[in-house]
Amino acid sequence: MIDNIIHAAFVMTTPILLAALGGLVNRVAGLVNIGLDSMMLAGALVGLMIASQTGSWPAALVAAALVGGLLGLLMSLTVTRLQANEIIVGLGFNIAVAGLVRFFLKSWYGTSGTLSLPDVAMLPRIHIPVVADIPVLGAIFSDHDPLTWAAWLLVPATAWFLARTRLGLRLRAAGAAPQATRALGLNPLNLRDASTVFAGMMSGLAGAYLCIGVVGIFNEGITAGRGFLALAAFYFGRNRPWPTAIGALLFGLFDAIQIRLQGRGLPAELVQTLPYVMVIVILTLVAITIKRARNKGA
Amino acid sequence: MSAVASSARATPAIGWRDVALAVAPLVLALVVAAIVLAVAGHNPLEVYWLLLKESFGGVKRIAATVSASTPLILTGLATAVAFRSGVFNVGVEGCVLVGGLAAAFVGFTYVGLPATLLLPLALGAAALAGTLWMLVPAVLKARLDVDEVVTTLMLNFIAVSLTAWLVNGPLLAPGSANSATPMVVEAARLPRLMPPSTLNAGFLIAIALLGLYWLWGRGTALGLETRLAGLNPRFAIASGINVPMLIIKMMLLSGAIGGLAGGIQALGTVNRFVVGFSPGYGFTGIAVALLGRGSAIGILLAALLFGALATSGATIQLFSDVPIEIVNILQGTVMIFAVARFGWLLKNRQGGK
Repeated sequence: MIDNIIHAAFVMTTPILLAALGGLVNRVAGLVNIGLDSMMLAGALVGLMIASQTGSWPAALVAAALVGGLLGLLMSLTVTRLQANEIIVGLGFNIAVAGLVRFFLKSWYGTSGTLSLPDVAMLPRIHIPVVADIPVLGAIFSDHDPLTWAAWLLVPATAWFLARTRLGLRLRAAGAAPQATRALGLNPLNLRDASTVFAGMMSGLAGAYLCIGVVGIFNEGITAGRGFLALAAFYFGRNRPWPTAIGALLFGLFDAIQIRLQGRGLPAELVQTLPYVMVIVILTLVAITIKRARNKGA
Repeated sequence: MSAVASSARATPAIGWRDVALAVAPLVLALVVAAIVLAVAGHNPLEVYWLLLKESFGGVKRIAATVSASTPLILTGLATAVAFRSGVFNVGVEGCVLVGGLAAAFVGFTYVGLPATLLLPLALGAAALAGTLWMLVPAVLKARLDVDEVVTTLMLNFIAVSLTAWLVNGPLLAPGSANSATPMVVEAARLPRLMPPSTLNAGFLIAIALLGLYWLWGRGTALGLETRLAGLNPRFAIASGINVPMLIIKMMLLSGAIGGLAGGIQALGTVNRFVVGFSPGYGFTGIAVALLGRGSAIGILLAALLFGALATSGATIQLFSDVPIEIVNILQGTVMIFAVARFGWLLKNRQGGK
């Protein structure tokens, strides 16, 4: 029972974590991405279509990342070049892409809402022989797919990238001090665009994970607001990769528990609100700390 | 943030340039949607003509359009009120939900009261619920400078789950399997203006509030203070305006109007609260406020436009094989184009001369 919940928690964490890491890098470079959910949805649909067509899961992942990245680029250009407000553009993308996806399903496949295709190549599960039989550890480490492993390996990689590499430093500068970036002869807008493309690709992968890693079919509600949970995760982690990952894992755990609670007379709906309540509480605590520090300094 | 707030303010003098700028987002969105329609094998002009006919061709259709625009006038107004003071409230959707549920609750609980008491009580409950829903983000924003975009966005999701829990459990209609409250009593329903259309007295309330908004922006001290705070908070503080207090007031007002939008929808059209009560009225309200550029007449026209799309979208799906989602595509792209600035494109062209 416990092992099942732990395993399910990690499965539900992967899409949130992937999108959250993308959104984190995006925010560090100066763009708050409210449109992650739309990129996830597009990635989910394209991932399923390619997985069915080619029978190859790597091809599906590449396609999902590409479509997510393309949406990210479009969104970023609207914000950086047409000086549009990022929040409104993000909300607009969520509405427009959700409409586009359903429009496409109806006019292309003649189906509303759900799409199931034949011969979908699902992500393989990596079974680790001895560890799998150990309680708890087996649930944590064994029988996960490559994308889950990649997501967790990307946590230290992102931390290292932002702290130690030249490009990471430049991205941070583009977000925190665009003028200084310009003084160095770099264009902060280009850096910001690159970070949004990355966020789009990560969200596309997250969407594909839901389709070919978990359920095997596409549904218009498949993301279930996970793009916003990803947003909540990097706000919760205050842009630091490890705390963000902890946040994502926590939300994944809530998700796993909530699925178990369904149909048992326990209020699953109230468990669903927990991630969002937590974000408000964390932001409040952080603001109080900042205010106290400022008052002391004065 | 201030860029949107200033673009959402009322423009004092209206020239052809302003009209062109105001209509541009709609035109661009129509172009994008036309491409989507053409790719899917439909004739865009035919579809648009059908949409126009279905939304304004005849008294019945116009009544349906006006009825559908009622909640959008109110959510657009709620958004504009907050934007004008420089507050980026994206939480009107949550207010619609809690307001709708509060009105329905009063409407099916206090069944012994006469209409003259029950109706104001139910509408008051809706406004109060919306106000209280905005209290936390308002205080957090004004006192601790917590980002209101994130808090109000999160509260939307909390509102969805919370209301879903309430109507699936404590407030579920007895003997009902679907997630809905009992129907409100006859005395709690807003009178229909043109039966059998769902057009109801709520529209008159919305128009009255829109008129008050117009007067308020024009001739009152609070209206001026709000605009100053939205345009330049530091100048407003230097002029002796209590900006934090103003932010709280305007967010609560925004919440009250959002709650009222839900209440009017519950008492005028749906007659109860159900899960999926709002197809995104709060988010469409953002598009309405932006497209209407925060002016009273602009909000009215934009709300009528989206109301028309909502009603005609549903009927063209019946008569042709054009999916109703074309409406969502239009709505999303209007939002995007409404905040995009094409000024630099024009500037470049002039520089080339």
